[in-house]
Amino acid sequence: MSTIGIEHGPTTHVATPGGERYDILNLERVKQAHIPFYPNQEDVTADGNTAAAIATLQMWRALIYPGFPITPSTKWIETVAAKVGAQKGTKKRVKLLEAEHAVADYMVGAGAACRDLIFSTATSSVGLDHMTETTRSLGASGLGNVMIINVYRATANFPLCIEGDPSDAMAHRDDGFIQICARGKQQIYDTVIQAPCLGMHPEVMTPTMPGYYGIKDSHRNSRFTVESDGAIHEFQDRWLQPCHLPGTINGDTAMGNCVTSRHFQGFKINQKRRIERVLDILPQIGADFEKTFGRPGLRFFDETAWPEAGPVDIAVVGMGPDYGTFESVREAWAKKNNVSVSGLALRLLNPFPRDAYREKLQRAKVVLVVNQAHHSGRGHLTLDVADALAGIEPQPRIVSAFAGMGGADVSEATWEAMLDEAKDALTTAPRQPYMVFHEGARL
Amino acid sequence: MSSFKEIALKDSCFRAGSTLCPGCMESVAFQNIGRVTDNGVKTIFTIGTSCAEVSTLAFPNVVAWGRGDDSSDDFGKSFSILHNVFESAPTLAEATRDVADALMDCGALDRKVQIISTGGDGGAFSIGLRTLLHTIHRRARVTIVILVNEIFANTGFQYSPATMPYADTSTTPAEGAPGNMNPPLDYIHLAIAAGAGMVAQLSPAHGKMFVKAIERSLEVEGTAVIFVPAPCISGWKFEDGQTVELALLGARSGVFPAFTWERGKGGSVKDCSIEASERPDVVDFLAMQRRFAHLVQRDKVTGEVKPKPGREQDIENLKGWVQGNVERMYSLANLK
Repeated sequence: MSTIGIEHGPTTHVATPGGERYDILNLERVKQAHIPFYPNQEDVTADGNTAAAIATLQMWRALIYPGFPITPSTKWIETVAAKVGAQKGTKKRVKLLEAEHAVADYMVGAGAACRDLIFSTATSSVGLDHMTETTRSLGASGLGNVMIINVYRATANFPLCIEGDPSDAMAHRDDGFIQICARGKQQIYDTVIQAPCLGMHPEVMTPTMPGYYGIKDSHRNSRFTVESDGAIHEFQDRWLQPCHLPGTINGDTAMGNCVTSRHFQGFKINQKRRIERVLDILPQIGADFEKTFGRPGLRFFDETAWPEAGPVDIAVVGMGPDYGTFESVREAWAKKNNVSVSGLALRLLNPFPRDAYREKLQRAKVVLVVNQAHHSGRGHLTLDVADALAGIEPQPRIVSAFAGMGGADVSEATWEAMLDEAKDALTTAPRQPYMVFHEGARL
Repeated sequence: MSSFKEIALKDSCFRAGSTLCPGCMESVAFQNIGRVTDNGVKTIFTIGTSCAEVSTLAFPNVVAWGRGDDSSDDFGKSFSILHNVFESAPTLAEATRDVADALMDCGALDRKVQIISTGGDGGAFSIGLRTLLHTIHRRARVTIVILVNEIFANTGFQYSPATMPYADTSTTPAEGAPGNMNPPLDYIHLAIAAGAGMVAQLSPAHGKMFVKAIERSLEVEGTAVIFVPAPCISGWKFEDGQTVELALLGARSGVFPAFTWERGKGGSVKDCSIEASERPDVVDFLAMQRRFAHLVQRDKVTGEVKPKPGREQDIENLKGWVQGNVERMYSLANLK
């Protein structure tokens, strides 16, 4: 049959659980068309949005970058547009849409069209909220080739502030995405590189949402290492194989359509099973990354000052760049108060690695959990940690703290005030189910 | 271009098995679109939530889509369907087009694809107006088919922005109230103004024109938008078997005139005179539907349709709206 002036004979095709898949895509041509942005490893000084943009640009599977600006994620699409525009002969394209919802819809169409390409965008706050109708669809879709970079900012725009806490990430924990928190430009870059390997894994097939703090990490510069495009390709190619299911272009298939109740129920169970597989696959990818590049790869959390064995007095659970302030005050405060203090900085937010936290935190007498997002109860992280520790005897005491709300810096004084409360809990139960700290004081 | 007879004999990818109401114009439209797209080019449909989606694709029950019973060695006969939320179909289509183009640009794909977005009133004129206009504005090379039944049929026949004046819907009731009093959205003008390459208003009741318009839409530069007046047997409340007759009468009386237009060429109104005296009386159109039962009644002896007592002025108002509608369509046809 003549299409673009070429006579085509019978096309090789295979039956799959998702319909016929035709052998009509030559992905090697996409790889060959990639023009490296970084032919060699290079140290770069840039902000977090730029680090994320560079990572997405280096992937040969990323051909189209849909986006819509919203502070503080805007520089991601600006950087992508500038670098794509400046690269002569590139096949990459920037797609500017009219709203975040359109971006999310576009990701569905593009991700379904070709499951072997990676489609990434960045958004934040109410932008992510605006996407929600479709992010929930995406979360269930099996389109692990979709990545939404979430630059954390509070969702409630009343009153409006461009800084903010991670309440957007927390509000979207049930969208069905794999959510990974990064802190620092190197970790942002490395996380974005690894995320598709996890999301597109045939046992996972779940979209990813790497995230980092707005302003604190998105807008502040630091030095980090950019690997060569070739090294990135070699790493990703080890994990990414052509999808076994058809897309809309290379398949005879229907996706997202109406199904009977019984089929829908099975689909939801399968969605749950796929995201559970993250807990096994993520450490494998992280270990391979570390072996390849010599830097820590994906993991459930970063550990601070945990002894090989034995108990610790206080264990801190936090996330984001403010955790670095804890790391800087920890040793002096512990020495002054004559207690041992360790910490866990959250990396994998969703699915929450309950068992890994349980194994670690059961060694603590007191667990100080620092929540930075608005929550009507004891705090999102507190509830997860309490769930992880359920049934342990003796039960570590949980001190639940809110700090850094609204994007406030969690200062050294604030950390010390929270640690003081944790120290008191070594001998007496916490005075309240949760406490709010701000600018060095318990309110 | 194929002849009408050639198209009529093609294998439609829309087949028996839907749970659409018997006589639904949407199924007639899909049958014909399915035949036109059996042209050797792989077809990808994107579909917003609508009757056309939920009543044709309840997998794994019988679905109304397929070409033949066996898998085909001919990729050109294959097709895919992608559904997402109500308003998403144009954006899904645009994304699919972009990916196909990008793959072709790299030499990774050497087969053409044709992409058709489908949706209804809600997906196009209400929650989806944004996506519709912006996909058109970006000149996405896709065909957008909008099945206009002037209501939100899938949720129970509520008012839509395309509802014609005085119509009784479940949210603009006519009992003790006048029915819909909002003039319909001028969606044809909006599509032209947004930058469409081709705009048509045609139902399969104008069979040859309809399939030719669909065929042309697959070749036109930029976005082609086909508004398909789709009498809804349950929402408009007419008798089984009258769908095509009602669609023809609606077009000829000036409620939704047959219209085709291409950028740079202009357009034309077909089968609908600008002179009211040369068109069927709109009251005959109203009388076939119980959604206008509050306005007109048929004399059981003579068969003559007359305004209900006290509704004479409403009928005159409606006729005025129809005349304005026809004149508007003729004006739009003059745009280049």
